[in-house]
This record gives sequence, structure tokens and C-alpha cells, in this order.
Amino acid sequence: MTSVSPVDAPVPTLPPVDGRRIGQAEQHDTLAARNSLLAPGELMTVRVRRSEVPAGGDVYQAFQVPYQQSMRVLDALNWIAENAAADLAFRWFCGSKMCGTCAVRMNGREVLACWEAVEPNMVIEPLRNLPVVRDLVVDRTRYEDKVASLQPWLERREPYAGFPEPLTHKEMKDASKALDCISCMCCYSACPVIGLGNLTDFAGPAPLVQLGQTALDPRNSPEKVRRSLELTGIFNCVSCYKCEEVCPASIPIVSRIIEPLKAKAAQLAPEMARHSFALRDIVASRGRVDPGELVLRVQGLRALGNLRRIWRLLVRGKINPIRTIFGRKTGAAAAAGRLLGNRVGKP
Amino acid sequence: MQVVTTDVAVIGGGAAGCYAALNLHKRGIKPLIICKGLVGKSGASLFAGNLVISGRALGNSEENARNTAEFLIKYHNQFLIDQKWAQRCGQWVEQVFYPELEEAGLYFRRDDAGEVVTSPGKIRSIAANVQGNSGVPFMDLRRKQVIRAGIARMEETVATSLLHNADGSAGGVFCLNYITGEYTVVIARAVILATGYSDRLHTRSTGTREMSGDGVALAWRAGATLLNMEMQWWHTNDMAHPPSWQRMQIYPNPMLGSEKSARMLNSAGEEFFNQQQDDPLAFGPYTVQLKALVKQVRAGKARYEGGYYAGFDNCDPAEVETYTTYGKTFRQLGQPFPATMAETAVSSHYRQGGIDVDTTTMRSSIPGLYAAGGVGGHSNGLIGLATYDGHVVAEGVARELATPKAASVSQPQIEAESRRLDRLRTSSGDGPAPGRLKEDIRAVMWKKVGVEKNASDLRSALDDIERIRLELLPGMKIHNSGKSVNYEWLDAIDVINMIDVCELVIHSSLERKESRGPFIREDFPLTDNDDWLAANVLKKSGNGLRFERRPYDLPLFLPGFARKDNLEVAW
Repeated sequence: MTSVSPVDAPVPTLPPVDGRRIGQAEQHDTLAARNSLLAPGELMTVRVRRSEVPAGGDVYQAFQVPYQQSMRVLDALNWIAENAAADLAFRWFCGSKMCGTCAVRMNGREVLACWEAVEPNMVIEPLRNLPVVRDLVVDRTRYEDKVASLQPWLERREPYAGFPEPLTHKEMKDASKALDCISCMCCYSACPVIGLGNLTDFAGPAPLVQLGQTALDPRNSPEKVRRSLELTGIFNCVSCYKCEEVCPASIPIVSRIIEPLKAKAAQLAPEMARHSFALRDIVASRGRVDPGELVLRVQGLRALGNLRRIWRLLVRGKINPIRTIFGRKTGAAAAAGRLLGNRVGKP
Repeated sequence: MQVVTTDVAVIGGGAAGCYAALNLHKRGIKPLIICKGLVGKSGASLFAGNLVISGRALGNSEENARNTAEFLIKYHNQFLIDQKWAQRCGQWVEQVFYPELEEAGLYFRRDDAGEVVTSPGKIRSIAANVQGNSGVPFMDLRRKQVIRAGIARMEETVATSLLHNADGSAGGVFCLNYITGEYTVVIARAVILATGYSDRLHTRSTGTREMSGDGVALAWRAGATLLNMEMQWWHTNDMAHPPSWQRMQIYPNPMLGSEKSARMLNSAGEEFFNQQQDDPLAFGPYTVQLKALVKQVRAGKARYEGGYYAGFDNCDPAEVETYTTYGKTFRQLGQPFPATMAETAVSSHYRQGGIDVDTTTMRSSIPGLYAAGGVGGHSNGLIGLATYDGHVVAEGVARELATPKAASVSQPQIEAESRRLDRLRTSSGDGPAPGRLKEDIRAVMWKKVGVEKNASDLRSALDDIERIRLELLPGMKIHNSGKSVNYEWLDAIDVINMIDVCELVIHSSLERKESRGPFIREDFPLTDNDDWLAANVLKKSGNGLRFERRPYDLPLFLPGFARKDNLEVAW
């Protein structure tokens, strides 16, 4: 066995990566690598979820599709429609990452079919969190209605000054990111909170990005922005970053849209942010999270109405009334107070 | 089958259709938008890369203003344009278009100091948010304006035929919602066709998926006069691979915030196009590029299907990345940007010609039938021009609607159309699927009605299309005759429109016996301003067609020569 000294070992050079690509780069799953997995003519196995299942058949219909140079998922679907299953239903218009209508799930991950490179083995399914009409075509109405209800348009705080009006890119920085949105619904499908259905009133990432286009625009009236934000349930967002991970337009949805919108909501409609304010208050004064106090402060005496849940929380050690009442401070309280204290005290 | 009554049926949800609907709504007239795709999310408007600065707006000099007008008339329309309309349009774009959009919230890209960022040079442009993607926020704004105004929309709904009143005037539209499979009869006092510039009649086309020449086909069947159907534009630098990216362009236009822009190399690596050096007056230098490519192809250094390259390797990466989306294509393929070039190919793009309209009202030769934007034959496309049409047509329609008129659409024509569509859905021949027929038609057009045309190929193409109509169409087979989301059914409807429009394009191409801009006849290589500085007007006569030649007035710009080899003409 030949050994290679650490000095001689080739050092893998990774392409420069941003946060969202870290895991991909480590596994050499770069775009260049993904684009060269297959050679022209090689057969890929594509399993597509169908709506009409033949007797005794599978909901997934398998196809062998020959690879073409730089092939996208949409090309594979078009090949299937032209050569193997003329009745396969899938929606697309532009094929150029502009109309945002061809999103599907490929191997469990939301992708824009016209944009994503094919893989040797693919399972193609419709988006989640929207009703399927047929095969890969989903009904977008739920999303469209939500966006319309948020009234994502300008109500100017000042009369229009004439073209070109005073405005800087600095002021539009976050709104400008939101303007890259092609409403493809990838994020909406990937969002675990939307996946909870009616348990929350969360509008979802895509409607929030649509709202962000004007709510983060300095020309908009704060009163208008407040009215829209109140309909979003935005504090149900758990900042899991799934939306950012799948966004084909590379919009930093959490950091540049949802977080700034949350900050706006906390300022314009503080009642919406009472959970966040209470949490920060508790951490600032105790130096730790106290779930018991948090529940009481957010839900008030209503919390006592569900004894079964309280019992469960007690048994699992989630809440500890003794600690809540007597264990006021930890050693971290002073530091936490210093860090957060100047902001504590809002509702 | 439901029946809906409205004041005006607007067919198309792009820049022209949306603006027409918004203006009608403002005047208290009730529009209904019928869109084959989704309003603001399909068609050519979405692809607007940037917006040309018209007139003296944003510090344009007198010379800039004149250059823009000259570009529009020469390079963009090869003089086949009503110059007075162009002048009115330019003034409107300068005075109304930008302020209207900005007041509604469109973000014209600024720098950090607040200056609107422009491209430098003889003709200047601006971008909505980012160059290369301007159409997305632009059309998204229109979509929201339409929603905010409460304008009725029927989306993913195809207009399958125009309905007429007893006096022959347009009286409504027969529609199919291909998601639900339901028919709707729209009864309207006026119909506006706003179906766009592009169609997918060639193997490689910039037209989006749903495009199949519907607007022209519907108007022609209703008896409307057409013109310049042969004047087909081409993109010279769209991605050669993969097929779905056939309409993804390596934008050759001047760049915001940079003195440089894209260049093109032939198969030997020699530069054959660089907008900044080759023709600074060609803002959208598509014909300039096309002519340069024809020479490369003839020299064996490129093919229309690929084998030549475009990119930004001559540009400062920081400049390209600041205000444009141009790197996205390269990056998604894993190619270093801007160091590498992309293989490109030709795609058929806009059609300059279309429905003949009175440019003061946008009315066609059929009473009650109007055309706005790209489907009209009066001009080639820019998003500002299409929007201006939306303004003009709303005024024209409002004037006509001032005179009351009773609708008299007969029941038999509705029933006949309903039966025709039912039959198409249940086509059960032993022949090809409709999607296959569409590809067959596109292949004929690509091979025989491509960039370089000649009489013998054109005649052979007519034979091929005729064979598809007579021999393949009757045996068409639909595999699933369900009503819901049946794209095969939609394809079957499209095929018939495509066949009709292709025939009109081929006949018109045979008729124009010259070469002009992007219209290149091998057998008539000269641009002939003596005989052909004229509209190639196409009229229905009996079961056939006849041509008339209608010279253009030239009040502002003159070509300055009588006859010249088209490949040596700058525009």
C-alpha cells in the first residue's frame, strides 16, 4: 500500500460557495458536476406520478428517456409527452425561468423543471400544499387568492412626484430581491408550516415575497403595510430556511424578505409579535428561556383552559412551575440583559 | 356551456391586452380578459429585457431621441411601419408610459445615490429592477393592477373562434377552459385580439408553449385583412442546448452601467459580432446579427442550428453582474462566467406583420374586431409600443361603443363550434398525436421556411403543409379523451391554427420578391425600395386569397437608396 504524506496529498479546491451551497460543495455536487452526470444518448429512468392509475398499475409510471446535451427536467417531460405518453399533463409556458409555472418535485426536492438539470434516476411529482388537478398540474388558486387578499400594491404615502421620482437602490435593496420572484410556488410547496394546513394562519413564503415587493418599498404607506401584514400570520414562520434552499430565483427569502417583514410587523402591529417580544423579555431578564412563563405571557389565563396539554408539558419536563416561580435568574442574566436589555419593554 | 356577457372581450394577457383592459375599465367599460396562459405570466411581454428611452426623457439629448426613432423605423421595422404612428407612439411613451408605470410602483433601477441607471451610447435604455428580467416585475405589476381593478379574467382558456353578429361584425368569442374542459360563450360588443408577436411555428421559436398563431388564424377566418406575414424576425443568439432554452437569449443589447456588451464568435473562434463596435445605432441588433451570421453560415463557419458562440468574455464581470441577470444561464450550466461562451443557435422570433389595423383606432377590416400589440401588422415589437396600442385601442373601442348596438350572435354558429371541439377531443384515428403533428409542422417551417428562403423550398413547404392538412390531420389520434387538463385536446385545436397561419406565411413569403432586413430570399437578394417599400397586404377572396401592395408614406426617414444587396444594408 502506498501512503501519501499529507504534504503531497492533493488538496481539493472547492469553488467559492455561498451559505446555501455548502453541503453541495463538500460532496462535489456542484452545478458543473450535476450537468455532466450523463453523456448524450444514455438512458435515464424517469418515474412520473400520474393521476389516472391503470388497473393493477402503479401511480408512478416509469419511462426510459435518452439524455440530450444540457437536458433539463422539462426536456425530459417534453420527450415523454412526444414519444411515450402524449396525455401526460404538466404546465409550462416560457422554458426560461420567467413564468414560474413549471415547478415540480424531483427526487423529493422542489425544482423549476425548465431550470434544473436532469439526474440519472428521477422521481417527478407535483408540488405539495396545492391541490393536484391532473398528473403534475396543481391548482394555484389558493396561492393566488392569498396574494390578492394581501393587496400587494402601493398606496403612496406622498403624492407621486413625477418621473423619475426620488428613490435610491439602498432604500429598495430588500424589495428589489423580492422583485426577482416568479411565483413558481417551490417555496410554498417546501414550507413545513404551510404543510400544517389550517393549524396556522400563515400566508406562506411565496405570498410574503409577493407582499415584500411593495411592503418593503419605502414609497408605500405604513398604514397600508400594517393592514396587509396583519393578514399574514407571519410570526408562524419558524425560519427553517427550506424556502430559501429551493428558491430557483435565489431570493434570500428568510433573511431579506421575511425577517425584514417581521421587523416591520413588530413596529407597525406590535400585537402580532407578542410571542417574540415575550421571549426576548424573558431571556433578557432570566438569561434563559422559560417555557412556562412564555406560555403564560403569550396565552394568558387561556393557557390554563387545556389541562391535558398542561399535564403533558409537565410530565415531559417542558414546563417547570417551581423553576418559573423561584428560579428567576441564571448566571447568564446579566449578559443577556446587557445584550437585549435596551430593547426590552416594548409590549 | 356557460354564456358570459361583457362590453369588450380582450384576448391576450400581455402588455397590450392588460393595458387595454385597464384603460377600458377606467372609462367605465367592462372588459373580460381571455388568456391562453396566465395573465402576465405567458407570452412575449415577460421577456422584455429592458426599456428603450424615448424622446428627451431621462436626459436624452436631441440626438439620442432622433436615434431612437431612427432605430425603430430602420432597424426594427425596415421602413415597413407607419412613421406617423411611430412618432405618436414615441411621444406617448415619453410622456405617459414611464410615469404611469412608476406611479403604479414599477421600480426603475437606481444606483445607491438615486440616479436611474441607463445604458450608455447612442440609444439609451433603462431596466425594471434588473436588466434581462424587466418583463417579470413589469408584467407582475400589470397582473396586480388587473386584479386590483377587479377586471374579470378567464385564464388557461383558449379562444377557439370569433363569433359574429347577423351584420358580420364581431359579436363574441367561443372559449375553452382547458383546465376544467368547460366551454364558455363570451358575448361582447367589441373584441380585441392581443395575442402577441411570437408564435411557435418553427422547430426553434421564442414563442412560449401556448403560442400557435391563434390571433392571426381567428382574424383570418373572420375575414380580416392581414399584411407582411412574411416579415419574420429571428434571434441569432439563443441557447443551442437544451431544447427548452431555445428562447433564452444571450442579450446583445447595450448593457446598463457598462460600455461593453455581448459578442459572438464563429466555429473558428473569430469574432463576427460586437454590437458596440459593429453598429451602435442597432439597439436591438437582431437583423445586424442575423446578416452577420448568414455570412458565417455561407462561409461554413456556423450553422443555424449551432456551432457558434455568444457571451460576455470581453466584459468586466463586476459590471455585468451589477445590473443584469446575464450570468444566470452560464452559472446554471456550471460554466465559469463571464470567462466562457455558450453555444447558440437561431430561433424564429417576432413576426413584424399581422392583422391590418387603422393605427388611430386599432380597428381591423372587420367591424367590432380590433388588434393591439404584436398581432397587429403595423409595427414590430417593443413592450412600450405594445402598451401604446393598449391605450389607442381603448380609445378606439370607447368611441365605437358610444353607438349602441344589439348583439345578434346566432345559436347555430355556437353549436357548430361546440361540435367541432367535441369531435377534436375524441379524435380516434390511427395517425399521429396532435403534439407530434405540431412538431412535424415546425420541422417543415424550419427546413423550408427558415432564415434563407427561395421559391422552390417555399413551394415544397406548401405541399408539405397541404399533405399534413389533408392526409395526417383526419387520422389524428388523442389518447385520452378526458376533459380536464387535456393538453392533447389543446394541441389538436392548435394544429389547425398552425396549418392555416403557416400557409399564409408561406404564400406571403412567395409574394415578396425582394430581401429586406431579416426576410432573406436567396432568389431575390436585393432590398428593393422601388417596388417593395410597401405593405404586402393579404385579403381573403372566396375560398382563396389575393395580394395587394400598399406603399408606405415616408414623412420622417428615407432609406436613401433604390436597390441594394440586403446583406450590405446596415439594417
